[in-house]
Order: sequence, then structure tokens, then C-alpha cells
Amino acid sequence: MAAPAITLDRQADRRASRGLWGDALRRLMRNRPALLGLVFIALFVLSAVLAPVIAPYGPLEGTLAQRLQSPSGAHIMGTDSQGRDEFSRVLYGSQVSLVAGIASVVMGVFIGGSIGALAGGVGGKVDSALMRFVDVMLAVPGILLAIGIVAFLGRGLPQIMFAVAVVNVPIFARILRGSLLSLREADYVTASRSIGASGTRLLFRHLLPNSLSPLIVAATLALATAIIDVAGLGFLGLGPPDPRTPEWGTMLTDATKFIRQSPWLLFFPGAAIVISAIGFNLLGDGLRESLDPRMRR
Amino acid sequence: MIDSPPLLSVEDLVVKFRTHEGTIHAVNGVTFQLQEGERLGLVGESGCGKSVTNLALIRLLPQPAGRIEGGRVMFDGQNLVDLREDELRAIRGRDVAMIFQDPMTSLNPVLTIEEQMVETIRAHREMTRAQAIARAVQLLSMVGIPKPETRLKSFPHQFSGGMRQRVMIAMALALEPKLMIADEPTTALDVTIQAQVLELLRDLTERLGSALVLITHDLGVVAGMTNRINVMYAGYIVESATTAELFANPSHPYTVGLLHSIPRLDAVEGSPLVPIEGRPPDMRHAPTACPFAPRCRWRLERCWQENPPLAPLVEGTRLVMTGPEATHQIACFNPPTPDEQVAGHPLRPDFKAAPPPPGTLDEVGAGRLASTDDLEGLDAAIEAEEGPLSLAPGAGGLPIPPEPEHHPGGILHDD
Amino acid sequence: MTRFIVRRLLGVLPVLFGLSIILFAFVHLLPGDPAAAILGQHATPERVAAMREYLGLDTPLWQQYLGYLDNVIHGDLGSSVINNQPVLREFLVRFPATIELTVAAMIFAAGVGIPLGRYAAKHAQGWSDGMVTIISLLGISIPVFVLGLTLQYIFAVQFGVLPASGRIDPRAGLEFRTNFVLIDSLLMGRPDLFLNGLSHLILPAIALGSIPLAIITRITRVSVLDVTNEDYIRTARAKGLSEGRISTRHIMRNAWLPVVTVLGLQVGGLLAGAVITETVFGWGGVGRYVVDGIFDRDYFVIQNSILIFALVFLVVNLLVDILYAVINPRIRYA
Repeated sequence: MAAPAITLDRQADRRASRGLWGDALRRLMRNRPALLGLVFIALFVLSAVLAPVIAPYGPLEGTLAQRLQSPSGAHIMGTDSQGRDEFSRVLYGSQVSLVAGIASVVMGVFIGGSIGALAGGVGGKVDSALMRFVDVMLAVPGILLAIGIVAFLGRGLPQIMFAVAVVNVPIFARILRGSLLSLREADYVTASRSIGASGTRLLFRHLLPNSLSPLIVAATLALATAIIDVAGLGFLGLGPPDPRTPEWGTMLTDATKFIRQSPWLLFFPGAAIVISAIGFNLLGDGLRESLDPRMRR
Repeated sequence: MIDSPPLLSVEDLVVKFRTHEGTIHAVNGVTFQLQEGERLGLVGESGCGKSVTNLALIRLLPQPAGRIEGGRVMFDGQNLVDLREDELRAIRGRDVAMIFQDPMTSLNPVLTIEEQMVETIRAHREMTRAQAIARAVQLLSMVGIPKPETRLKSFPHQFSGGMRQRVMIAMALALEPKLMIADEPTTALDVTIQAQVLELLRDLTERLGSALVLITHDLGVVAGMTNRINVMYAGYIVESATTAELFANPSHPYTVGLLHSIPRLDAVEGSPLVPIEGRPPDMRHAPTACPFAPRCRWRLERCWQENPPLAPLVEGTRLVMTGPEATHQIACFNPPTPDEQVAGHPLRPDFKAAPPPPGTLDEVGAGRLASTDDLEGLDAAIEAEEGPLSLAPGAGGLPIPPEPEHHPGGILHDD
Repeated sequence: MTRFIVRRLLGVLPVLFGLSIILFAFVHLLPGDPAAAILGQHATPERVAAMREYLGLDTPLWQQYLGYLDNVIHGDLGSSVINNQPVLREFLVRFPATIELTVAAMIFAAGVGIPLGRYAAKHAQGWSDGMVTIISLLGISIPVFVLGLTLQYIFAVQFGVLPASGRIDPRAGLEFRTNFVLIDSLLMGRPDLFLNGLSHLILPAIALGSIPLAIITRITRVSVLDVTNEDYIRTARAKGLSEGRISTRHIMRNAWLPVVTVLGLQVGGLLAGAVITETVFGWGGVGRYVVDGIFDRDYFVIQNSILIFALVFLVVNLLVDILYAVINPRIRYA
């Protein structure tokens, strides 16, 4: 009994010395699915950043004479209905997805986080009013909300980002409010308050850092949905206003017209969406497991 | 009676758990018998193997970790260890019934009491639903539940803990089993309810002629309930005697320790409550010496080397396994004298507990060895001790939760 | 129980009320004139003024809102500005198609997901853990339209075993009465039409049901595993019940509870997914109606369709809550 107890204690000590984040990182690096996710994400981000370097052609470059060519040495993913190089367009398409995805999640975290922080921090009537508002948003399910917003605000990349952001707002609002509510009564917060720490100081020194790990996990998973939602809007014809823009969803819609002659035009943008979504989903699950080992199933 | 074959004969039963943390030697060769209608107490700290022994009897060990690795369980002429699952199913509930510790979690929350009782009856008897319901009503009134017809339609959460345990008893007795196993049946109940439930259990098993195995960590509970007692430690039976004999002549240092760690009304003024210092051994190691040696105040050099077998207290006595004449057996090389039993510690002036030989410390897994000779002033009662199995919660789904602490006083020397 | 239902019902109203305000604000407060937007860029000022009057846009906003609210309460959800068809009627005509699709998707998801989850729980130690992980990962990572197009390509284009789009072969001669293809074909006594409709339903239902399938599989597995370790399952074994009875009555009756909750939560996702699935498979449901409304800039169609969608979603969630209370005695008597 004594011997194993001592070893356990020693391990606990070693863990404590590494700190929460170092420990989480160590666990993440041992999580194979999460590492695979990171590889997919790296692929996705590198395509976006290096598109101008790697892409053999420009995204808009092509002639009708070269339309709908099968994959070949010159066009490894073939050409689309306008004769443009599909590979180059898939690469440039990752720029749209990456920018729109990140921007919408940042917006969502900011809007949702503010609503949640206000609701959880102030409490009372403000809390119930804001939460009713969130209920209203939740009453319009997912992408339908985004569709409605784009319908009313008009087509355009900023509108798309905002619409996709709004879909995620309730998630972030609830996370932040939830952690604030549970922490408000926590001992160390009461302790800080009793030594006269100000409200803002409490918020930034104690409350926010503790909401951080669920927020990071949710934001990572939200990136996957954001990429899917942006492509979904594009697929419905609500993508960027310029129809020539290389956007994966819009490319899919174009491809449906040529499903018989050129099925690869479906395959490549579709695979690009799926791979990026899998990447963020795997990383998000991995982060959840490493940041909160208790949640592991 | 002595000549008829026993109802239950457990022979050299060995149970091990294979977990991520290694193999746990839960039951290490347990042998005992039970006659029809006899009531046996099985006493020991949590994790001593008493619950595992009984789950193993009808093969309800948590799967896939728990395995019977040796021995026989002869019940009514059949070896339960070898039976097919469907043959065993016919015996469970009909011939052998069980009551578990926590009535809060042992009844299915989404089924009415009626559904749970009727399905038990109809699993074993050709009966119409109406007949089974009538039987259930009869059983509920037998265990003292008022308005049984209406209460049958209730769900478990609509009963109090004590009432739920009465329902469990009614359900267990539904088929008038030959053997009833009650695993800490009152531990989760209020102290005021405990005595009532125990009395009910004793009266009903007596009336139906069912044999009873009562598992408890509390010697006070078994005192007025059972004919015989087996004291278990670290997966071994360390002392076995009739209830009267055990209380009159507790002969294993562990039993003596148990008796001294319970508050008594008849205690001499000023005599301190003496806890058993140290912890039960780490059961991930197969014991090679006496498993109690690290905590024992009577230990000899030899106790660090050999594991004493269970043997008659008086050498050469003819071994009687059951009944009022059952032989008093202990597993000890240096049993306390009658004076020492009363005092709770060795009285021989020149005696000093043998120090552990170098290097054996880890193997036998002693707790805080240095302090075992310095017991005064410590007030941790043994019930509060954490069993060694709780070291790995969840590993292999071990069924033994730490037992809550309580001290029912004054019923020790009733008989 | 009645009080519980009434209380939950009353909880729906403020949400709908709030949503109606927000939708109204979207239409009327955003920069740009709805009348001008409806008429397009080349409308003359006179026509815009006439449209404004027609739409009642010249009265104060609060009056407009109260008028709108009054209409909504009386079941008048306005008309399309394009073809003047009442929104509610158009919605209801198309709604059976969407119901047929979402119900089929749900049946697929639950019908495959629950047995799969139970199987995985029963063989928790082996490869089935990995299988469930992969299914749930793919389920949430493959968008409905990508899966839909893939299924379409494989089964309709490549192998030609299932129809690529539509609800039924238009030449088959189905008379629409209830607007449920499967019901109407049976009303006509034409099993061949029923099968025709069913074959059209398979691919869209699988595409739409993939996300709930993933989630249901995962939750069923976890839930069954949790219940299997409960004390009362050991009691059931100790009573000598058969494994089959323990599994169906004792385990599933408890394991159902979280599964039902999750099923309910999936309805919203299904309704949203239906909008996209209907586009992929040319399915003439309300999803298409909304999307067409967007392209026509038919603001009232969008505004009120979203309102009805929300109502349906809230009512379904309410029904799920009630169902949950019915199957969980601890809530029923709480």
C-alpha cells in the first residue's frame, strides 16, 4: 500500500509543477486523433496561405476551350465548366473558408461572450432578458438562421461571416454565462472580493481565465461547423456575390450540373470541406479531453 | 441434522479481478458450510472479500474483470461454479435470493414495484399476472408495508429508504428461497430504521426456513441475528465460530481488534476505544505471510514468513462445520489469551511484536508500521478506513464502495 | 402533468413573440426600402410609392407591427409579393413533403443508430468503440450537401438503382390529396406508387439523417453503458431474469431517457438540414420554398416561413419534453 501511494503522490507533484496548460499540451501531444486533426488543419491552413505560391494557375484563369477536362498532368484535379484549373480553385477556396471561418468564430465568441459575460456578470433582470434573447435565436435552427440573415442583409462575404457567427452566438453566450455563474460563488472569488478586488479585476484575473478552456474547445468545434455553414450558404447560392469567387460550396453547386460528365468536380471541393471539418472536430475533441480529463469517455 | 449434507458448501473458493492496475486477489481460498435454516454472519472491513465471496456464489461478479479461479460452490447437490448460465438463472431469485446494500439504487427507478415483483415471481413460477399480483400484495403486507394494493403501483422513488429495503426483502422472499444473502442490508439506512429491518429479516427467514448469509462490517449487527460468524480479512476467513462463542472467546487478534473498536455500553469506565491501526493490505499482491501481521500486536517472527491456516482453536478437535456445535477455528500462530482479549493488547511483560524483517515492507504492504506500537490517542475508527480496493475506483467496476461510519452501541453482549 | 404542459406551453409564447419582433425589425428597420427591394433596381418612384402604400409602409412602425401581430394571431401570415399567394397556405401545401423527409430521416437515424449504439455498448471492449468514434466523427464532419451529392452520384448516376431527385415519378400519375406521397399512394390503392415514392425518399433521408445517426449512436452507447453498471441491473440478474428481459425492460427503459432528449434536440437540426437536402434532391418542401423566397427577395415569405419553422421546432421540443416526462416516472411525480 505504502509504496504505490508514494509513487502516486510523486506523479501528482510532477504534474502540478507543469501547470494546467503544459499538462494539457502534453496530453494533447499523446492524443493520436488530435494529432491527425492538426495535420489536416495544417494542410488546410497551408493551402490557404501558400495558394498563390503552390497553385499552378490563377483562380479565375481559364478558357472555355479547356472546360471539363479530366484530371491530368496539367490539371491534376481537372478543369471546371469555365475551363479553370480545379486544383488551383480548391487551393484558393481554402482562403475563403479559412478567413470566413475564423472571422465568424471570432465574431461569434465576441458577441456571444459579451452577451454571456453581461448576463452572468450582472445577473438579475439583465440576465433573464439576455437569455430570453438567446432562446429566441435558438428557436430558429442552425443554418436556417444564417440563411435568414443573409436573405435580409444581402449577399456578401461580411454578411456571410456575420450570419454564421450569429449561429454560434448562443453556444458561446451559454458557456461564458455558465462558468461565470458557477464561479461567482466559488471560494477564491469570494476571497478576492473580500480583500477588495474590483469587479473588472475579478472578471479579467479570475473569471475569464476559468472560462477559457471550454471556450477554446467550443471555438475549435465551431470552426468545423463554420466551414460547413459557409459552404452550405455557398451551395444554396448565397455565397460571395461574385459568382466567380473560388468558394467550395459555390463550386459544388456548379459541379452538380455536370455530375455525369465530371464527377471529380464534386469530389475535390467536397473532400476539401470534409477534411477541414474533420481536422477541427478531431482537434476540438482532443482539446476537450486534454483540458478536462474528467470528460473523457 | 449434522449428518445430512449441508445446503451450501463453499470449498476453497478463489476469486481474482483482472484490472488495469493488475490482478486483485479478492478471495484467497475460502471454505465454509451452511445448513438449511442456519444464519451465518460474514464480518470484516470493506474490501476484505466478503461481498465478493457472495457475489461469486451465484456468479454475479462484475464482468469481465471478476473471475472465479478455483474451488467449488456446492449448493443443493450442484456445483454452481460449473453450471450453465441458464441453469444458474433458474436458481437465482428462486433458490438463492440477494438483498443489496443500497435500496436507493438497487430497484429500477422507471419500473413500478408491481412490475419488478411480478416479473420476479413469473420468471420462476407458472402463474397468471393476477395471481402474481395477489402474491406481491401478500408479500408487501408481510414485510409491513401499509396499503400494499395501492403501493404496488408506486415507483421506487416514492418510498423511503427503509421502505425500499422492505420491498427488496419482500421481492427476495417472493419465491421462498432456500438461501438468502443480505449484503450490508442496513448500512445505507437511518440508525433508527436499522433494527426494524434486521428484525424483519430475521423473523421472516425464520418463518420461511430460509438460510441467511448476512454480510456486514459491523459486529454489532450480527450479534443478535446469526447462529454463526465468519470473520474475514484480506480474502481469508481468519476466525469462525458460533456467535456466542465468538463474542465470549474472540481468539484472532483481528476479531479482538474489531470488538475493541466498537463503543460498548458495558465497557469499564475510562477504558479507551481502540482502533486497529494501519490499513488492510494491498490486495494486488498474493500474500505469502499472515496478511494481518503488519497491523497485529501479537505477531511473531513467524507471522512475517508464513500464512497461518484456518484450524481448530483447540488442537485435535473433531471438525464440525455447521450447527450449534460448530468448531471454533482461527488462523493465527499466537492467539490472545482470555485476559488479553479483554485488555485488547498483549499483557505478557516480556512480549514485543516482532519487527518486520528488512525488505518485506512493500511485499506485505504495511501501512504506517513504525506507529503500530504507539496506538494511544488515535481515534480513527476502522469503519472509516479506506479499503484497498478503493485505490483504483472504477478499475474493473469493483462493487465495493467505502462504507459509511456508524456506531450502534449497546447490543454487543445481549446474549 | 397538465400544469407541466401548460407551463411549458406558456414558455413558448414569449419566444415566438420575441422572434416576431426581430423578424419584423429585420424587414422594416434595415437600411433600404422593402418596397424598392421587392421591385428591383429599375422601379420608378411612382411604383415604389404605390408598393409602399400597398404594404402599409407609410404608417408608423408600431402600428405596422401591431397590425402584423394581429394578422399573425388570426392566422394571416401575409402573401407573397411575387405571386400574391398566401404564405400560410403555400407553406402548408409544401409542409407534408418536409415532414415526410424529416420523419424518414429520423426513422433512419434512430432505426440504425439505436441498435448500433446498443451493439457497441455490448461489445464495449473491442473494435466497436473505434467504429462508433469514426461514425460520429464522419457524421458531424460531412455536410448534408456533400453526402447528398455523393449518394446521388453513386446510386443514381453511377448505378442507376435509385432516383436522383424529386418525390415521385411525375408520370406515374399520383393524385395529391394529403400531399404525403406515401399516404396518397396508399389512398389510391397503388402499392407501386408507394414503392416509387419510397425509392425517392431513401437517398435524401440517409443524407439528412446522417448527423442525427452519428449523435444517436454515440449517446445510445454511452447511455446503455451507464445503465448496465447500475446496481438495479445486478438486482435484476440476481432475480434470475433472462438477459433478453434485462436488456429490453431494465436497461433500455432507462437508457431511453437521454436518447429521447437527444432525438428531440435533433429536430431543429433536421429542419435546418431539410432546407439544404431539399435543394440537393429537388424535393418540393418548405425548405425549397424559403430558398426560392430568398432569391425572389420575397421578404414576407422569408419572414413568416421562419416564424412557422420556429413554431414547429418549439412545438416538437415541447412534445419531446412531454414524452420525456411520460417515460420518466421521476419527473412525472416531481
